[in-house]
Amino acid sequence: MSTSVMIDPTTDSAQQGQEGTTVDEIPVIELVNPMPGFPERRRFTLVRLDDDGTLCALRSLEDPDLRFLVTTPVAFFPDYAPVVGDDVVDELGITDAAQVLVLLVLTAGATLAETTANLLAPVLVNTVTRQASQVILDDTSLSVATPLVA
Amino acid sequence: MLVLSRRAGESVVLGDDITVTILEVRGDVVRVGIDAPRSVSVHRAELLAELATSNQSAASPSEDAVASLAAAMRTRKP
Repeated sequence: MSTSVMIDPTTDSAQQGQEGTTVDEIPVIELVNPMPGFPERRRFTLVRLDDDGTLCALRSLEDPDLRFLVTTPVAFFPDYAPVVGDDVVDELGITDAAQVLVLLVLTAGATLAETTANLLAPVLVNTVTRQASQVILDDTSLSVATPLVA
Repeated sequence: MLVLSRRAGESVVLGDDITVTILEVRGDVVRVGIDAPRSVSVHRAELLAELATSNQSAASPSEDAVASLAAAMRTRKP
């Protein structure tokens, strides 16, 4: 009954939003559940901020002023491997763990050392259907504000 | 707000398919079992509030903050 999916954080599938896409071609990511704190915002796009897609902006298509800085976990938390339940797998239509892109929401500080990542509630993106959700993990050892560098 | 008194082992039914059962009462801790369809998300209220606050702190950093973070991440890489 419990076929939880182990999501491989090393999957490098941050291919959205690369240079050269026009406005019409911007891939829309739809949040199946709005992010807590932003109940009205469901449509986002992912924009790369560096060459290898480590740092990206999750930008609202409904509110041009709203964006979140996000990162893939592998550069900073190589052991991070969120486990989610069947409900999330069903909700995002995940059929293969390799299709899931894991993004951590960053709270930018003045320096890298003061910047934190939300490990408790990663944003999981089904890169095939472009449906996403910020999932609260069932792991009390994780924090919403983990320093990006130790 | 509807207020009900329940003993351990007793339940409350919400709608057609959600059952909340009081499992154990010990001191000031109450253990609650929730039987709900998968489509109904169940979270601790304070955790959702913490996440909302965290998201609001994270939202829309300044261009300067983004630029300095991007630069710091570049220099950190091997």
